[in-house]
Amino acid sequence: MDTSSRRTFLGVCLGGVVAGFSAAVLWPLYRYLAPRSGGELTTRVVIAEKDVPEGEAKFFEYAGASAVLVRKKGGELVALSAVCTHLGCIVQWEKEKQDFLCPCHAGRYTPDGTVISGPPPKPLAKLPFSVANGEITVG
Amino acid sequence: MDLLKRLYKWVDVRIGADEVVKKELTGYLLPRNINVWYSMGSVLLVIFSLQVISGMLLLIYYVPDADKAFKSVSYIMNNVPYGWLFRLIHAVGSNMMVLVLLLHMLSVLFMGSYKSPREFNWLTGFILLTLVQGISLTGYLLPWSQLSFWATTVATNSANAIPVAGPYLVEFLRGGKLVGPPTIGRFFALHVAVIPAGIAALIAAHLFVLKRTGVSTPPFGRGDTTNQWKADSYRYEDHPGGIPFFPNYALEDLRSVFIYLAIFLAVVFYYPYLFFPKDAFLPANSLVTPAHIKPEWYFLANYQTLKLFPNELIGLSVQAVAMTFLALLPFIDRGRERHPLKRPLFLACAIGGLLLWIGLSIWGHYS
Repeated sequence: MDTSSRRTFLGVCLGGVVAGFSAAVLWPLYRYLAPRSGGELTTRVVIAEKDVPEGEAKFFEYAGASAVLVRKKGGELVALSAVCTHLGCIVQWEKEKQDFLCPCHAGRYTPDGTVISGPPPKPLAKLPFSVANGEITVG
Repeated sequence: MDLLKRLYKWVDVRIGADEVVKKELTGYLLPRNINVWYSMGSVLLVIFSLQVISGMLLLIYYVPDADKAFKSVSYIMNNVPYGWLFRLIHAVGSNMMVLVLLLHMLSVLFMGSYKSPREFNWLTGFILLTLVQGISLTGYLLPWSQLSFWATTVATNSANAIPVAGPYLVEFLRGGKLVGPPTIGRFFALHVAVIPAGIAALIAAHLFVLKRTGVSTPPFGRGDTTNQWKADSYRYEDHPGGIPFFPNYALEDLRSVFIYLAIFLAVVFYYPYLFFPKDAFLPANSLVTPAHIKPEWYFLANYQTLKLFPNELIGLSVQAVAMTFLALLPFIDRGRERHPLKRPLFLACAIGGLLLWIGLSIWGHYS
């Protein structure tokens, strides 16, 4: 084996050791800093029916984000994500107008989540729910 | 490779990198009889960097609040992926930092490197030792365990012995009459901001005076082992014909760093709780003092000294005198001889002092 090929071989070995060492340092670092998995998120929320009277809304945390239950005039229930689809602010329920207003850029949504006006590009996401024995189960 | 060379050339023509490399690395010559003890400073720089990085990582999950601190540390240890690793690196690293710092000081002592004109090197190093002790003490409280709480209670209470101002000083340190929620805020600020800034500044000063005076020549393997410095004008101690810092001594430094890392990681992985007594795993309870509460190993001699003297003020004064003597050593020991075997009085005092410190520490541990 001549000198230059031995030098190349040792260079490759050293590179391999450095790469292995870097991986052994960077992997724990990445795992430590990475956001926690969804294991601890609430994916099922139970709310008593009486807590959501007609014409009113109840906000709660669902799957790590804000969500809202609305009982429209007439008694129909809707479960929506409360995160505005424009830039992620939390919408507010306007009881008098019976609609949602995003305080950041004045986006407006109907109680069903449909965009009325303003910059939101799409409706509020609908959430699955069921009603049984006087309890509303979201998720 | 060609790209790297072109990039280097691009930088060089702008900032004269070649000149810096020649002056500070390849052309920076060290004495030919330099030994492994001279690499302790580099090892300490690596340790300090690791402490800063692991400390920053712990800040992500740690909560400096008396109600949440212990839970947040337990969360880091048990729930955060590799949280145990970064916490142990930080906690074990703090002990290793003190140990290597003491070895660095001992090598400087025995090789007489503290002598003129290196009084500033010694003084900045000595202040660094006290700051490292301070950062260790303040960090000790942060997990808010029984050990943290009561060790801090005892340590801060020592200031009570100072006449007149003592009681006020204790209250000032604690932020209240007793160690409690205000103490953790104070110690946290000291631990993560004030003392690290002080340590960084002192390291910069230490390296600056090292660069200005030049590396000392070890007293071993030479005929004349006396200090050649003359106090008439400033002279940089150069070493013509010496070995280049890069790559020769940088590789020696790297070897010492890897030996250190091997020992350090062996403790982290195989003896992770070497520095954790069982009270470190119980949350702080201000109503129950655990039996036989002891400080960290490097404060055991101080702890035992305080126990030996019936009057706390005398105990503290004895320690203050010893520390002042050590700090002012270059001004007291003005002999020109540097070889330890040619300084019998120094050697007897140094070994006697070291044995006394070790003896008091062992006594403190088993008392």
